Amino acid sequence: MKKKGCLIAGIAVGIILIGIISIVLWYIKTGNKIVRLDEGVSESWAQVENVYQRRADLIPNLVATVKGYAEHESSTLTDVVEARAKATSVNVNPEKLDAASLQQFEEAQGQLSSALSRLMVVVERYPDLKASQNFSELQAQLEGTENRISVERRKFNEVAREYNTYIRQFPASIVANSRGFEKKAYFEAQAGSEKAPEVQF
Amino acid sequence: MKRILFIITFLVATTNAFADIFDRPAEVNLVVDNAHAFTHEQFEALTARLDSFDRASTVQIQIYTTTDLQGYDIVDFAQRLGEGWGVGQAETNNGIVIVYKPKTETENGEVTIQTGYGIEALIPDAVCKRIINNEMIPNFRKDSVYEGINNAVGVCISLVKGDFKAEDYGYSYSYSYDSDDYDDYSGSSYEELTAHDVLGLCIFFGFLIISVILSMRYGKKHPSSSTYSSGSYHSSSSHSSRSYGGGHFGGGGARGSW
Repeated sequence: MKKKGCLIAGIAVGIILIGIISIVLWYIKTGNKIVRLDEGVSESWAQVENVYQRRADLIPNLVATVKGYAEHESSTLTDVVEARAKATSVNVNPEKLDAASLQQFEEAQGQLSSALSRLMVVVERYPDLKASQNFSELQAQLEGTENRISVERRKFNEVAREYNTYIRQFPASIVANSRGFEKKAYFEAQAGSEKAPEVQF
Repeated sequence: MKRILFIITFLVATTNAFADIFDRPAEVNLVVDNAHAFTHEQFEALTARLDSFDRASTVQIQIYTTTDLQGYDIVDFAQRLGEGWGVGQAETNNGIVIVYKPKTETENGEVTIQTGYGIEALIPDAVCKRIINNEMIPNFRKDSVYEGINNAVGVCISLVKGDFKAEDYGYSYSYSYDSDDYDDYSGSSYEELTAHDVLGLCIFFGFLIISVILSMRYGKKHPSSSTYSSGSYHSSSSHSSRSYGGGHFGGGGARGSW
């Protein structure tokens, strides 16, 4: 009789322990998955910054080349240089990719995009410049870079969407809330973002 | 049961029917000629050339001709194709995708070369543009599609093999982009042993010990169920048919039209 009581108590303890342990294990596993997804978002963000930086790196050379042929366009060139300075000064903390910081980043980069496209309109007036080899190389680099930007933005949105979906779904949302994981912001779809931005020269 | 099977089959069939053209195909076909741009001999020759280069170097060069870009921009199409099919190897991202759309009466012909992350440094964008302008478009204008693409493939192979460097292919503007940034791009597995894990492990082992003690004291010895998974042969090693390696594409490359 006593032995039977011990057996039941043992089973009960076992079941309770299994319950507690599986909850703990689930908590750990879910937490780790969120960390992994979060890391993926940060990695993807690094790629986004990378390609924008790549564009910024092209600009000094571009400005120098255009200057050689089009001295009268100094105001357009100054706009580009200023917009570049502004764009490169905006830093976003990858841990905190909220809507406000992403919008700030977008605005600065958008100003650079429009300054660049104004420059490219101006360039149309200088056939010698357009024919120069240096410029056509830069043109190819810039086109490729603009395309990289749209690819990395899209990849970022995909990764961020996966993360957001996971942390907002029950029951993973419990873990996310208790460990302070927050929703990431997305890039707004650019006008015609399905199409690669074509840089017209 | 039959009904369930039917439903499952139906679901699988419909999902396949909606399968994306950017979904990875089971087999490698490095030349896909939907636009019928090549003769049979040309197709065979190009396929043989690309296959042998793939075997020798693991670099996959995908040729894709089509008259319908499904509404995508050609560059976007090529990037999605490369990424979706996983052209090139996942570790080195050494894939190249060439998409060709023939000129029609109403539309310009279009072509693009897209380079995987690992190829960007070997064939920079400006060189892709140069290949398009030097090798492809002059031939395409003469309707020599095969010559254009075959010559471009030749230049790509030489550049990848290092027969000559990008600057020797008339590349004057050197842009020192650090391509190392991309090397470890493919999803790193981030696992960290936190205090939570340690706690979890302690509890886990504690439980194991307790259950062993409990079972030794009270339980009858039951034979450990012999469920060796019988059918787990490594079928992949039995035949060495190649597949797309899972390479990634970041949008590098160039386009051209005529």
